[in-house]
Amino acid sequence: MRSAWKFFASVKLAIVLFIILTLASVLGTLIPQGRSAAEYAARYGSLAGLFTGLRLTRLYQSAWYLAILLLFALNTVVCTISRFAPKWRRAFGPAPETNAKAVSSMRASSRFRLLLPLSTARDRVAERLRSRSYRLDESAQGGSIVLLARKRRLGWFGSDVVHAGLLVILAGGFISGLGGRSSDLSLAEGQTADVPHAAFKVRLDKFETEYYPQGAVKDWKSTMTVLEGGAPVLTRVVEVNHPLTYKGFSFYQTSYGWNWADARLVLELRKPSDPSFLRTVSLKTGERAPVEGTDVTHVLVRAFVPDFVIGEGGRIESRSEEPNNPAAQVEAWKGEERVFSGWIFAKYPDFGQGHGDDPMAGAKPGAKADAPKLAIILKNYAAAPYSVLEAAKDPGVNLIWIGCLLVSCGFFLAFYWPPREVRVVLEETQGRVELAAGGQAWKNREAFQSEFDSMFESIRRPE
Amino acid sequence: MTESTLFTVAFVLYVGALLVYSAALFAAREKWLKVGLILAAAGFLFHTAALIARTVTSGHAPFTNMYESLSFLSWAIVLALIIFGRSSRVPRLGAILMLIVVGLVALASSPLMPKGATPLVPALQSYWLWLHVSVTLLGEAFFCIAFVSSLLYLAADSVEKKERLDALSYRAVAVGFPLFTLGGLIFGMVWAYRAWGRYWSWDPKEVWSLITWFVFALYLHTRIVMGWKGKRSAIIAIVGFLAALFTYFGVNYLLAGLHSYA
Repeated sequence: MRSAWKFFASVKLAIVLFIILTLASVLGTLIPQGRSAAEYAARYGSLAGLFTGLRLTRLYQSAWYLAILLLFALNTVVCTISRFAPKWRRAFGPAPETNAKAVSSMRASSRFRLLLPLSTARDRVAERLRSRSYRLDESAQGGSIVLLARKRRLGWFGSDVVHAGLLVILAGGFISGLGGRSSDLSLAEGQTADVPHAAFKVRLDKFETEYYPQGAVKDWKSTMTVLEGGAPVLTRVVEVNHPLTYKGFSFYQTSYGWNWADARLVLELRKPSDPSFLRTVSLKTGERAPVEGTDVTHVLVRAFVPDFVIGEGGRIESRSEEPNNPAAQVEAWKGEERVFSGWIFAKYPDFGQGHGDDPMAGAKPGAKADAPKLAIILKNYAAAPYSVLEAAKDPGVNLIWIGCLLVSCGFFLAFYWPPREVRVVLEETQGRVELAAGGQAWKNREAFQSEFDSMFESIRRPE
Repeated sequence: MTESTLFTVAFVLYVGALLVYSAALFAAREKWLKVGLILAAAGFLFHTAALIARTVTSGHAPFTNMYESLSFLSWAIVLALIIFGRSSRVPRLGAILMLIVVGLVALASSPLMPKGATPLVPALQSYWLWLHVSVTLLGEAFFCIAFVSSLLYLAADSVEKKERLDALSYRAVAVGFPLFTLGGLIFGMVWAYRAWGRYWSWDPKEVWSLITWFVFALYLHTRIVMGWKGKRSAIIAIVGFLAALFTYFGVNYLLAGLHSYA
């Protein structure tokens, strides 16, 4: 037990742990974290198994990384406690045994005589020290008076406060990791959803996307209502950087999209040979719509993508959820015979036809292939937007803020609140008082020296 | 004057300060150090005006892309030099820092950096942008002072110079470390919690700030508790600044993550 204490009280251990933590953390940024097994296999080949086995692919959540953090916490606790008592004595303990000779050998010192009775001299010294915010402790030692004056005593404990803050942050992190809950809610306007792990529901009343004049997204606004037992209790607009918090749960605007699978498409059918011919049909993916007044009996939509791109291996994909290049795969049927199948583009209405994808071409062998008989145009597309909100509960977060506050205060105390100490020995000999004073500051010594000099100058020669 | 004119005037004054500081290396006159500092301070005023002009025209904090943040970082380094330069009286420190500043400003002005003020993506529309980025970059500017004085320490020949540089490096860390902790880590966590719902995501930029923090924590512990000084301290401060530099630059270009806004 004793040797374990000694082991954890060592700053050398802290230094070793600092270095290990640093190297481990670097490693975790070199290996991408939390990817799929296939990605690791492609990237690292035969090493992938080893990396996964050592949890290098989920390094910051691995048992060994957490174990180092725990060791570090233990090291911090023991180091802080084992150094605490001497600092406490220095800051708040009684005046130690001292004498005129000892105080005169301190960093700042002064020695002179006062032609005053002892008690008057003592009062003058005490008054001057107090006016500079020093706290006094007085003791009588062998016929002389010893005054111990200290200020900014909390400065001794800056590093302890930082350490306490870090421990609180670590504790908060562990609690967040164990008790944190988070889930994504995809909501269309008007939709109500259960919040996982909570006893209330939320409803999305309204969802808007605002754009800058140049077209970039400026903001997403989800108007949310919290429902308790079906009754609305709270309505708020949730934006990025402005979450809604209710009963320990916070709702964050994380994403958005459109329900493209259920998009309603409007197709226009035209005959280049007959400008007066126009048929408009409205349908969803997988649906068919009859067409009158032409050879084609009906059209149907096989697929729709909002942002058409030809991916690997010639596969048609959507580059994004944004309707940057909406395209529909349409078919034209003549009874039981498919006479056309191809992609048409809302933003490039001439594209499909321009490449000879004449819906009627090949329908009748021998017909003039260069004269398209029917053009299909993707005139409009509309899908319900939805908002993705993250519902998160983080029971550790308050500890994190308390820890951060402690760390900030600790830094202030450690770097900008340096303690100062003055010791004065007053000895009465033959109706005069021999004064010996010494002082010490732990930072900013020049400033202390001038404070010390001016204090004792004014004691020696008061105005 | 427009932002680019102000920025150019600042650049010219910085080059002037660099030349005067360099001349002071050879002439070793106190007066030249003063002139260098005055030129740097004049450049700083124009640079400040340029940053304000940018903020007014773009309507948001002047550090949302690489050009803006490089400009702000160089501004912060000059500020740190003005704060520390008066008392330190090390001509080489001023010369090297101004060389770094001129280099950063030139890099910011290079065609590599798109200068257009782009509208803010929703995640950046927060006053935490001001607090998080400005305080972090200020902290990094002081790390830069610690870095340069540590390099000079390793190159210095006299004991007296070495002592002065060692103390200067420590003073810079003592300012930079609390600023970096507050701005980079604490404000970063608060903002991340508000914007993303989690205060810490082990994103590469976050991890590298933590690494930087570990290195400077190591610096302080070895120095204060174990009494390391001089060469070993200087090496740790240099490593720490390089880690901060990688957090700032390298992560954006080499590692993908949540912070890839620039």
